[in-house]
Amino acid sequence: MGDIEDTHFETGDSGASATFPMQCSALRKNGFVMLKGRPCKIVEMSTSKTGKHGHAKVHLVGIDIFNGKKYEDICPSTHNMDVPHVKREDYQLTDISDDGYLTLMADNGDLREDLKIPDGDLGTQLRSDFDSGKELLCTVLKSCGEECVIAVKANTALDK
Amino acid sequence: MENSAIQTLETAAQMLMAPPEMVSSEQRHQAESVFLEFRSTKNPYQLCRELLEKSTSDYVLFEAAGLLKSALIREWSLLSENDISSLREYLLNFLLRRETPPFLREKLLQTIAIIIKRGSIDDGGRERKALIGELENMILSTPINQQKLACSLLLAIMQEYAITVKSADVGLIWEVHFRLKKSFESIDLKRIFRFTVGVLEQIVRSGHRPEGEQALLTKQLLMIVETVLCWSHVSPLLSKRLIGAFEAIYESDTAPALRLSLRWRDTIMQPELIALFFEIHMYVRSNPDLASPSLTCLVQLAGLSGVVVSVGNLKQQYLENYVNSFVNMMAYIQPVEREMLGISDIYRRLVQFFSPQMIASSPPAFLQNLTTLTCTCIRASVVEEVANDDTVWRESLNKFLHTWSSLVHDSDGYSDETLMNPCIEVFNTYLQCRLAPPDGTRGTGPEEEDIKDDVEEDERKLHSNVLLTIGAIARKAPAHCCHVLFTLLQDRSKRLESQLQLMHMGKLPVSSGEQLVSLFEDLHWILMITGHFLAVDCTEGETVMIPSEIITYSIRENANIEASLRYLVGESHSTENVDPILKLVGEILRISAWECAALEAGLGTVFSPELSATISWLLKIWANSYLMPQTSVYSEMSTILECAFGRSSRGVSWVVSRLASRAGACLRHLSAQPAAATQALQLLTTLAHAQHKQNPLASCEEFLNLVAWEAAGNNLPGELRRELHRAFAIAATYAEGDIRNRLLASTVALQEKLMNLINMESDTEPVRNMLADTLDCFIGVTEGVLEVGTMDEQFMMLIGALDKIPGIIFRYHNYPGVVLPALNLLAKSAKRMLHSVQPQNVNKFLEVCNTTFEVYMRWNSGKISSIPQDAEEEAYEDICALMEVICCIARSGAQRTTNGGTVGVGETCARGLRLLLPLITPALLALPTLAHHAYRMLRDLDAAEQLTTLPIEDYNMVVTALRVGLTAVSYDVSTLCCDTIVGLSNKARTLGDDNPYALSLLTLAELLLMLIIKMEIPPDSIPAAGAAIYALTCVKPALLEGLARQLIEAFAVNDPASVPRLEEAFGILTNGVLFDGLRPHKLRFQDNFDKFLASVHGFLIVK
Repeated sequence: MGDIEDTHFETGDSGASATFPMQCSALRKNGFVMLKGRPCKIVEMSTSKTGKHGHAKVHLVGIDIFNGKKYEDICPSTHNMDVPHVKREDYQLTDISDDGYLTLMADNGDLREDLKIPDGDLGTQLRSDFDSGKELLCTVLKSCGEECVIAVKANTALDK
Repeated sequence: MENSAIQTLETAAQMLMAPPEMVSSEQRHQAESVFLEFRSTKNPYQLCRELLEKSTSDYVLFEAAGLLKSALIREWSLLSENDISSLREYLLNFLLRRETPPFLREKLLQTIAIIIKRGSIDDGGRERKALIGELENMILSTPINQQKLACSLLLAIMQEYAITVKSADVGLIWEVHFRLKKSFESIDLKRIFRFTVGVLEQIVRSGHRPEGEQALLTKQLLMIVETVLCWSHVSPLLSKRLIGAFEAIYESDTAPALRLSLRWRDTIMQPELIALFFEIHMYVRSNPDLASPSLTCLVQLAGLSGVVVSVGNLKQQYLENYVNSFVNMMAYIQPVEREMLGISDIYRRLVQFFSPQMIASSPPAFLQNLTTLTCTCIRASVVEEVANDDTVWRESLNKFLHTWSSLVHDSDGYSDETLMNPCIEVFNTYLQCRLAPPDGTRGTGPEEEDIKDDVEEDERKLHSNVLLTIGAIARKAPAHCCHVLFTLLQDRSKRLESQLQLMHMGKLPVSSGEQLVSLFEDLHWILMITGHFLAVDCTEGETVMIPSEIITYSIRENANIEASLRYLVGESHSTENVDPILKLVGEILRISAWECAALEAGLGTVFSPELSATISWLLKIWANSYLMPQTSVYSEMSTILECAFGRSSRGVSWVVSRLASRAGACLRHLSAQPAAATQALQLLTTLAHAQHKQNPLASCEEFLNLVAWEAAGNNLPGELRRELHRAFAIAATYAEGDIRNRLLASTVALQEKLMNLINMESDTEPVRNMLADTLDCFIGVTEGVLEVGTMDEQFMMLIGALDKIPGIIFRYHNYPGVVLPALNLLAKSAKRMLHSVQPQNVNKFLEVCNTTFEVYMRWNSGKISSIPQDAEEEAYEDICALMEVICCIARSGAQRTTNGGTVGVGETCARGLRLLLPLITPALLALPTLAHHAYRMLRDLDAAEQLTTLPIEDYNMVVTALRVGLTAVSYDVSTLCCDTIVGLSNKARTLGDDNPYALSLLTLAELLLMLIIKMEIPPDSIPAAGAAIYALTCVKPALLEGLARQLIEAFAVNDPASVPRLEEAFGILTNGVLFDGLRPHKLRFQDNFDKFLASVHGFLIVK
């Protein structure tokens, strides 16, 4: 990984680059990487080489952080890969509209209504917990211009 | 009635065996329930006979045989002697008159064997003896298929008596199994052996080739003899656990040694016997099926030991007799591939079981054959490696090398002169197989194939076993081997030099041509062999001595010191009067220097990372022995070696700086090549460890440059940076004064980096990555702090980072990539340092932990209270890390208590636990890793006596968690729970049985007892469960009686027939036991508990 001075920090909010480069060998499992143009979480990382005296290549398996699809790539360990900027933020769930949009409140009180209820088990659980009157916090994952709710937890820290 | 029963069963069997699309799942379930019910039929003997006679369905026949067996075991005590013997006769008759499929035959034979075994408890083996007599007559006279059946039954009986500890399902406790085995062993085993060998002798002498049915019979006879020779003759004086270990060997691939008692002397010491076994092998060896058991017999006989040969020169006589027959056979046959493993095993056993002097007095052909066979195996195993489809040759080679290893290390066996030429032959053969033509015979491997990197597949580890022995063999002929290795290295290093120079000057294309790859491969092997010739590979931190042969050789050569040193450092190229070892080392350092020069010149893409790794590895193991040897531990020392590498010698700082500079160059240029970078780091760590001998590493500029390089930031992958900081910390531990400060600068730089990252406004992915990396590096620092004396000072440097952790977790709570290393750092520091730092530092650390717990809970309690159905363990790794922190604190606290003086450790553990307890929900415990961590934490806290100080509400939660854990399917979780219960009970006993803590704990007893009785607890946890029941009863002695009464009352309603047996079983359980918690009664209870289980499971469980 490069030193602080060498790296350009961009938040991804200002329309600047959504990714930054990193040497392939310095990536870590459970970290993020762009595979086939999609932001992925690295679930498997192994090295191989061509012939006994060849140079290392890194074999990456990643899961798309938004749609759960699996992607793979292989790359010489000395090359750079793109790493997506990823942000996770917690919002308080205040309402669910009839057409399935969530009303979410940020820490500073701002409201947003542009995210849909997530698919699958998580969505079902979110709706049933909300219907039963639980105070919920939604964790919103944001990367490469996409956003979605990836986790729900009981809001036990209402005082914060 | 039977007919309709047969009908029902056959229809159900058809359903079960039908293809999936033909029957509905409901029909299938129904059919299953028919058989489930069938299996628990009481008194089913008549029914089973009918089924065996009339049914045509294989499945029904199989089930009937199974039921017969389990019913016999269950109802043994209810059956009369007549019933049993008529059943046995019926079964034998049935098998004699009917052609039965193998699956049915085996089951029925086993049933007969069980009848024989159980019957022999009462009649002392009378029936068995009679039956064996009958079987012998059958083998001698009747038609061949009956002879085969008799053999099968003999085998089944032997099988039944062979194992004791694991024979639980016959409803006997192991003491009885063991007694029966011993009685069988002393009465019948030898008789069976002599009889069978006699029959085999007749067959061999008949001169007919073993073919068709006759071959099958011969095979069975051989298997009987094999079983006798592989029998584990365990001494009755050993404990159950040791006997279990012996039996585990019996069940594994390698049979236990043939250790016979005096009773066997007349049989086994007959001179013709050994010759006969070799004759048998020659007779059957062309048939692989027969050759395998006959070779096993020879292998077993090669390892004869025990009282039988302990008197006079019996052992010598036996060996002479054996070796003569063996050498005779080898002169006559050309062993084939499948025989190699057996033959190599014969050599290995002979060398293992007979003294070196005896072996050395064998005829010369013995050693000659060994040499020839080893060389054959070396050549074939190298070919096998490339094809990689089988491992026979490699396994045989390992066994041969095992033999060599004993021969070259036993000083009172063969003389060095006798061994020299055979050793040279083996060494040359190995070397040739590894080198490319014209020097060697190496073929081209699959060059372009992708090779997956795997820690296990590390080249240097993969071949280390073989190379270790080849190195030892080479040291028996040091002059020859040293010369050959030096000449080869010199030649290859010159070739490498010219190739690299041509590339650098642009006269050769910068691509790894075939020629270059072949050169790399040659060097790789020569260096691996040289490494094992010069030194012994071992684990990190362990100093290994310079092999004595090398020292003797160096002394004997008596070279010129000046000339040798000049050659070593490259000031002179003349090899005249130069010490041979220094010549070799000088050449290795030259190759290393060429690699470094190539890397610095930008040829890193050309040089082989694998070769780089091998060079670093070699220098690492070499440095570990040769740098600054402790002369006092050597009986003799070469002056030249001492002048070159001894403490404060002229050569040592030069060598150390070369090595440090090499490690630096590899890390800078090969950071993306895992094997090369890892080995370079290990070289550095080895040097850092040697720092305690005041080596000049810490003061060497190349090393300090590396510290500066790391502080300035680089491309090294996270785990390697962590290791680098570990090496720095190790070096700093042993350094002093200014040098120490310069080394500690690496930690200071980390500290500054951490502060910068924390103070940074922007919260972006690169920042988080760097933060995680930096925290990881701190883990490396804690791992490198080794000396208690400097721990406080280094702890003070660390605390600056540790007290940032709560803040980091607060800010990055949503990013497990940051939270995990932060928690891991806390756990590691607690584990490595907390036990020996000053109390005020402990308090500082505990404050950090307390705050961390609170911050963590604030953000995570909600997350854990709702765990989705499809939760993945990974998402909860942080809780595991948190539990690990608590465990580490608790353990350090326990250590401090024993050292005297404890601080707020208990309070912090309790606080952490109180916060965590509400989160340990059944949903969370359903995840195996989490469950393991959680229960290990409870066990550790219990051991540290932290649980009984909890408020009762929290204590109740612990009990609830234990309740969940007891029903877990995994062995480790249920054992951990039982261990925790024992600990808690011992504490509760002192409080009295009406204390709320005790009452809460006692609620577990009923569940535990039911789980044990229903066998719903993993079998390996049973002893722990027994201990838990005892400990609980000690809290309240009336407990067990009450539970027994409850249970019996419940049975009285559903299964009144079992009530008397259950009452009797409980009687056994408490017989003569006082619930005082003292060792004698605890042990007696364990014994009773085993009997109780054997009895209860015998009639309650249908297996």
